[in-house]
Amino acid sequence: MTTPITRRCLLASALLSAALPGRLRAAPQSVAVIDWGMLETTLALGVQPAAGTELVQFRQLVVEPELPETIADLGLRGTPNYELLGLVAPDLIVISNFYEYQRAALERVAPVLSLPVYEAGKPPYPLAEQAAVALGDALGRVQQAAALVDDTANFVAQCREILRPLAARPVFVVNLGDSRHFRAFGADSMAGDMLARLGLANAWTDPTSYSAAAPVGIEALARQPDAAIVVMAPLPPEVARTLVDNALWNALPAVRQGRVAVIDPVNHFGGLPSARRLARLLTDAASQWGRDG
Amino acid sequence: MAERRTVLTMLWGLLAAAALALFARQVAAAWPDPAVAGMDGDLQRVILWYTVLPRAAVAILAGAALGLAGLLLQRVLRNPLAEPSTLGISAGAQLAMAVATLYAPAAMAWSQGAVAFAGGVLAVAIVMALTWRRGLEPVSVVLAGMMVALTCNAGSAALILANGDYLFSLFIWGGGSLVQQSWSPAVAIAPPLCFGVVAALLMLRPLSILGLDDASAKNLGLALNATRLLVVALAVWIATTVAAEVGVIGFVGLAAPALAMLSGARSLRQRLVAAPLIGAILLWLTDGLVQLAAGQGGERVPTGAATALLGGPLLLWLLPRLKMFEWPSLSRAAATARRSDTPGRVLLPVAIGTLTAAAVALLVGQRPEGWFVATGPLLSELWEWRVPRLALAAAAGGMLGAAGVVIQRMTGNPLASPEVLGVGSGAGAGLTAVILLDFTAGLGWQLAGSVAGAFLALLAILATAARSHFGPERLLLAGVAMSALFSAVFTAVISLGNAQSYILLRWLSGSTSGATMPQVWMAVVLLAATCLPLLAVSRWLDILPLGTGTARSLGLPLRCARLVLVSLTALITAGASMFVGPLSFIGLIAPHLARLCGLAGARHHLVGSILFGAAVMMVSDWLARMVAFPYQMPVGLFASLISGPYLVYLLGKGVSRHG
Repeated sequence: MTTPITRRCLLASALLSAALPGRLRAAPQSVAVIDWGMLETTLALGVQPAAGTELVQFRQLVVEPELPETIADLGLRGTPNYELLGLVAPDLIVISNFYEYQRAALERVAPVLSLPVYEAGKPPYPLAEQAAVALGDALGRVQQAAALVDDTANFVAQCREILRPLAARPVFVVNLGDSRHFRAFGADSMAGDMLARLGLANAWTDPTSYSAAAPVGIEALARQPDAAIVVMAPLPPEVARTLVDNALWNALPAVRQGRVAVIDPVNHFGGLPSARRLARLLTDAASQWGRDG
Repeated sequence: MAERRTVLTMLWGLLAAAALALFARQVAAAWPDPAVAGMDGDLQRVILWYTVLPRAAVAILAGAALGLAGLLLQRVLRNPLAEPSTLGISAGAQLAMAVATLYAPAAMAWSQGAVAFAGGVLAVAIVMALTWRRGLEPVSVVLAGMMVALTCNAGSAALILANGDYLFSLFIWGGGSLVQQSWSPAVAIAPPLCFGVVAALLMLRPLSILGLDDASAKNLGLALNATRLLVVALAVWIATTVAAEVGVIGFVGLAAPALAMLSGARSLRQRLVAAPLIGAILLWLTDGLVQLAAGQGGERVPTGAATALLGGPLLLWLLPRLKMFEWPSLSRAAATARRSDTPGRVLLPVAIGTLTAAAVALLVGQRPEGWFVATGPLLSELWEWRVPRLALAAAAGGMLGAAGVVIQRMTGNPLASPEVLGVGSGAGAGLTAVILLDFTAGLGWQLAGSVAGAFLALLAILATAARSHFGPERLLLAGVAMSALFSAVFTAVISLGNAQSYILLRWLSGSTSGATMPQVWMAVVLLAATCLPLLAVSRWLDILPLGTGTARSLGLPLRCARLVLVSLTALITAGASMFVGPLSFIGLIAPHLARLCGLAGARHHLVGSILFGAAVMMVSDWLARMVAFPYQMPVGLFASLISGPYLVYLLGKGVSRHG
């Protein structure tokens, strides 16, 4: 099951490493990571980055892997503090395709490695695997990267096995914006891709833009009566208060029949560690319905 | 006249019928139908009862409430431009709710409406306190209101940015969505609306008297201020309830009373009935159209943005037809500003001050260990980061300062500026068109699009103003309408949530963070290429404020002069907004600061304004880097956080009232 993926990844990593600048071959001493997905992947490879972005939010929303206190916080992902980055003076800066526009500024500090995971219309999981392998290669952690790819794939396969009784059950994975709107994760999001990998079906089949659709009214959840609903935390405070009294919410078949779960926050634009976390949280939530229904 | 009124009443009847037809279509689509696979009747009934019906009810009630609030505010402030959004009430309510959500969640849980009311009252209190001494003169009130609104919006945006999942919040925030899942918003809006209608009818006589001037009202024995405050409080209550329940919905409060008057509602009693009805029809129809345009994946445009999209053009069309109160001309008051006999000696300290600001911003900074003054090798390392962004901020600020001087002198209006007249937003519309055609378009194409947009916006404003002989008030109102129209376009594009949205969001917030030396050179060349010609033709700028007749008799080639000035201004504004966004309001305050120093001649005024613009923008950039270190705020946002309160203060002092 996992062998073909690994082989494909290794091939991709060989291609990517051929494209890297020569001086990166020696593993860098100090890495700064702008992209959250790559930050968690770096940590999962056992490397302590020197700097990352929006660490306050990272600790709340990404949760695992845990961040060491010594990492410097570079500020907002969209406008990182270049002065501070210059003072940290890393040997390598890791970004994703979202931050290509910062490349010119970042390259004044150190060589930049850009690893795309989220591209409109593409399932992100294979890209996350390729990114992990390429990152392991750049950081001199080739074996750890291969292990991360294989472990995650094995874990997802185990989860799929657990969920076999629920095969093809449609599930909405959503994020509530206020008490009246939600955002659905489509096929090109990690949540959507993970549903497919777990043998479930994504109930949200409409087109999405950049992984999650623009806010939609909650009545849209009624369109697939047999679907289950997974709400990804965090919930805005007034939502937690008003949702219990929301007549429409309570009338949804999924809510009436107890096929609703609120799961802990997961990085929307994460790498393999987030994918693994998502697989675990989705499996925990879904096996609950399996037992009840 | 009576015939015209009948025709117009029929027109409103038709529009109401259209809204009703759209509603019937929604009801038919949601009617419980056992044939729909998988959906049981209960769920279908719940959807009909808890989403379709309350949505129509909220549209009608909120529209009526905004129409009534607008009418009351316009009446007691004797100001046809007053409404919840132009007075900063909605923005104040939003900011209060944002602050409460973050720092006092218990207050939000207790009563969202009370928090919104507190914010709205505070905003309108600031506006009224500051313009009180000017007798609540309409344009000052609206300008103070816009400044308060702008500052509140910038504050809300800063809070969102500094605290979390900013994109999702912004998508819903800007819009004003009428999506419903229960009757509670409708139930919350109904009491203030009913109370308001009854109270207004009971206060018909005092309200009629308040429409007269103060002296007559006092002679008729009215406790003028108490009544006025009472009515304002009532209007704020109505408006903030709507803001708390469905978000910001602009223009209904402005358009409904004006349309009521144009439709022939002469007496106050007639208008008290007509304005809420027209407001209800406007919002109901707009919301029906929004739902008609919605696809399976959700609505393309939030209703609040759609009302601005429809209301902007409507207001532009209305302007020449709107009867305004006659107030002392603004331009006359402005001409009396103190004039320095030795402008050269004034410019020197201004220049020194600007250089000091640059030095502080270059040398003083923070690192994780704390504050420090950079020297030696550390400075040379930081130099390459600080110099480009500071130089870019200074150049952009200088450009906006110059554009402000030209626009103020060309229109003879001390309250005009590229931001107020919607020229900056026009640049954004041009930029939007370019990136929608090809989002990989380079900086050159983006700039070309912005310049074209700014040029067309400015030309449209000035042409409309010239053809219908606008006074300064209408010119400003046309600018407000233009900005609102464009920002509705921005909201719509941003809510698409694609690559273009991110470019536009970055442009709107205005960030110098990624400044590069090529950009700096481009900005400096642009500044020089536009300001040197302006200095060369500064005589035009001295003559133009004196009026067309004087200008002609002095042999000024009017048409040619205007065309040259408009082109240069469009180029400057578009260039500056590429780097610091459209909403800095530096173009408004820099010319003011220069004039306050006594720089009255066009040439010195121009130079002084460029220096002030550069200084304020550099200080903004420094603050944007320092306030939440290591988190950096966008400089455009900080510039408006500085200039908004300053301008409000200036209005309160009465800048153009005495010399």
